[in-house]
Amino acid sequence: MATDHRLQQAAEFSIEDTAGDARAGELTINGVSMETPSLFPVINFYGGGRSGSVFGGSTHRTVKELINGDERVAGVDCSHIFKGALMSVGSLTDYGINRDLLQTYLSSPIKRRAEFHGFEGILFADSGGYKNLTQGALDGSDFELEMNQARVFEMQQQLGGELIVNLDIPIEPDDSFEERCRKARLTAENVDEFLELSKDYPAARYLTVHGYNYSMIDTFMDELQDVLGGIDISATFDGIALGSLVPKKDDRELLINSVQGCREVMAERGFDDLPLHVLGISNTAIPLLAAVGADTFDSSSYIQAAINGKYYKSLLNTVRVDDADFRDCSCPVCSSPELRSRMNGDAKYRKDQMGPAAVHNLYVQMTELNEIRERIQMHGTDGLIDYIENTIGRNDSTRKHAHRVVNESLGGYF
Amino acid sequence: MKRTPSVNEVNEFLEIASDFEDPLELLRESLSNAFDAGAESVDIRIRTRPNGSDIVIEDDGHGMDEEDLKSFFDLGNSNKTDSIGYKGHGTKIFYKSDHIKVNTSKDGTTFSAEMEQPWEKLNNRILPEYDITKTDAPSSRSGTLIRISGFKSGEGFSPESLTYPKVHNYLKWKTIVGSTAHFFEDDFHEMEVTVELDDEIDDSREQLITTNKFEFPSEQLLPGDGPFPAERMCKLYGPKEISLDHAEGTSTVEIVGMAGGKAARNELPTFGRHSTQFGVWLAKDHIKVERLNEAISHDNEFIHFLFVANCQDIELSANRGKIRNKSSSVYQALEEELSHFLSKVTHDPWFEGYLDARRQGELARKASSESDKASDRVNRIQSREQYVPSNDAEILFGLQRPSAQNNAPDVVVEDYHPTDDITAIVRNDGTLQAAAVSSTLLEYFEDEAPLEPADLLICWEWGDTDELREIQRTGYLGNKINIDFEQHKITYETHDGKSGFCDVIIVSDYLETSTVKEAGAASTTPTG
Repeated sequence: MATDHRLQQAAEFSIEDTAGDARAGELTINGVSMETPSLFPVINFYGGGRSGSVFGGSTHRTVKELINGDERVAGVDCSHIFKGALMSVGSLTDYGINRDLLQTYLSSPIKRRAEFHGFEGILFADSGGYKNLTQGALDGSDFELEMNQARVFEMQQQLGGELIVNLDIPIEPDDSFEERCRKARLTAENVDEFLELSKDYPAARYLTVHGYNYSMIDTFMDELQDVLGGIDISATFDGIALGSLVPKKDDRELLINSVQGCREVMAERGFDDLPLHVLGISNTAIPLLAAVGADTFDSSSYIQAAINGKYYKSLLNTVRVDDADFRDCSCPVCSSPELRSRMNGDAKYRKDQMGPAAVHNLYVQMTELNEIRERIQMHGTDGLIDYIENTIGRNDSTRKHAHRVVNESLGGYF
Repeated sequence: MKRTPSVNEVNEFLEIASDFEDPLELLRESLSNAFDAGAESVDIRIRTRPNGSDIVIEDDGHGMDEEDLKSFFDLGNSNKTDSIGYKGHGTKIFYKSDHIKVNTSKDGTTFSAEMEQPWEKLNNRILPEYDITKTDAPSSRSGTLIRISGFKSGEGFSPESLTYPKVHNYLKWKTIVGSTAHFFEDDFHEMEVTVELDDEIDDSREQLITTNKFEFPSEQLLPGDGPFPAERMCKLYGPKEISLDHAEGTSTVEIVGMAGGKAARNELPTFGRHSTQFGVWLAKDHIKVERLNEAISHDNEFIHFLFVANCQDIELSANRGKIRNKSSSVYQALEEELSHFLSKVTHDPWFEGYLDARRQGELARKASSESDKASDRVNRIQSREQYVPSNDAEILFGLQRPSAQNNAPDVVVEDYHPTDDITAIVRNDGTLQAAAVSSTLLEYFEDEAPLEPADLLICWEWGDTDELREIQRTGYLGNKINIDFEQHKITYETHDGKSGFCDVIIVSDYLETSTVKEAGAASTTPTG
């Protein structure tokens, strides 16, 4: 049973403004700050390569070079866009790396490596619990390791994670009530171990929570507290990470239900002061979920979109990279003649074309988040309503969800 | 060589006048003219006459000078620019008459104009002329009196079709009298309108007096008591001015409206079916023109709404009945903006609560109705002397009633498919059998139901024994059949000449008190 009560928490979260249920705040972890709502871009810092290739990862490699402002990307420095980054322990299982290479990767924390000198943001080391969902288990067979809570925490520590979560067992859409409860208890057992393991580690600890609505999340918390013996969530954790939503990422109704339900459970159980992170969700869901009270997000969509040849015009609109007019954008990538030329196709490798596009896409997402934050900071809810009205409210597929969050979380139109 | 295209003037007059199909459009045009003339008061009197209708329209507006009067009779030559009647088409509806007389005073002068037989002449391909006289008048006098005699209103103004409620509805839905401008304008030009119908047309009241303001019912945001809790619920939306950016520039749409139940809607001067009056109206000059109910998403019924969206940049057909610039960018932007606005209305928590109140009312009424029905059934059961099934399932239940258990065959119903010929699979003395169920055996035969799939026929009664014997004598579906009433067994010839059989259970035989049975006394040893 967990009895953890650390004397000093590694993270501080202050809510500075609210607009309805939406909140704008500042998350500070070990002295590094991030204004919220914000996004942790997913970066595979280790992608199968060695030091000379910034540890590889194809498009991820180019992204890392842009964070560093390396000569290979014409010296374009994009580090200021990366106020944070999420790397999943699970991503280490994606590249078929052997145990020796793994040891090399884990031999030094990410932020202490010269290869990643440009990255100064908050490093979110995810447990990789989503692999339990997509692949049935976190498979460490390539590097001959059994992946469990202890091993995952050890890796999070070795990566130098500043924001870490327990190893969780996500739910699936077809899970029965009994199956969800069973998974909640398994997650709770990991949480118990995680708290013990991490009690002296100076990182922000987030509790993973799973459920598609208030009742599921409430039941999850009951099961968790049953195993943990009724711990003080607010005193034990630095934040909440809401998971299991990726398979339902296009079901915006469910995403809203889940975040609203989570915020309600947090309020009822007295830990509404903690930041709420939504795992694996981004793009058009961001304004909706920020409006109902999500504080941070993470996503690889910026890079996935680029790999699929997409160039963001806004959160809602994309064009083919080949058809994009880069003059419309003032991001560091689009401002560089060399990188514009590469995005136009004058590149040796596809990663050289898509890497810059990925960072541009992230810039667009971050700009929208800045806008959302500024709207929350305005007096009243009109600013945020206006933003939602003129973005997702104008899109047929998202309009009704925009109306819903305006009505339910921002005071309504009439 | 250059040539100038010519116009057949007579045909044009005839064409434009003919476009006005509804005689009530004469009221709309007269009221628009009075409004454009700055009138504060308009009186309209309609009399029915053997050769048509006589209509008098009198307003206290600023009257017409000679040029205005010319425009009144001319086609497409209006002096007006920023007004409703800028096209010079509307007054041509007056040509559908035997005589037009106009007296109008302005700035110390009165002009009188008369036109004889305009409609007859136009139909004879003659362009009608009018006489005009000018006299001095007191400078304080202004206004216009138009007298239309023998107006070709068809059945439109006849006592059978015209009533005050119909006129009131038309005025509010189709003319400037139903204007929503007062929601948007600080210096709104108010006009009182009096309509008087001949007693022969409608003697239910002396006259109708109204103003040119469309007023919505008062708000009632909470459900009421009673079986229809949402019927008086009503919420008003707007007035809201929205700027529309489109390829041709920027336009403004002025939206105001309501959502609500039938009782609230009935407080408006409705006439006839609500489905033709409610929904989303597009308007110009704040006069409703055409509905755009597609602006309300298909999962909502438009009948709950009455919205008027006024846009001065829509263009109308000559008779103002239709919008003609629907392919323009302004219209597209208008459609999009209205859809957007109305999606906000349909997602308004109040509206969702209103729909919930409707549903709850419906469920309560249904529950009440079901309670009544259940109560009736209890009363029926209490008053009956014996168990009588009213459907096939009850026949099977009868077989399994405690009172039947002692001497009935050991039959257990294993499944029940009410729409199949083989209604039930039963376990009869431990053996599964395909059973058809019928109130009487005779009815089973009358339905020409098949015998071959059935191992067992379970009936409440035999039915008319003589009819059954007649079937036995003449055959069933062209094949031989034998009914053994004693042994409860049917043997028959199949369509391919083979023999088949099935057992029969007469359920009423096993209950303590049975109805009158045919085919002899109940057997106590039926085959099973």
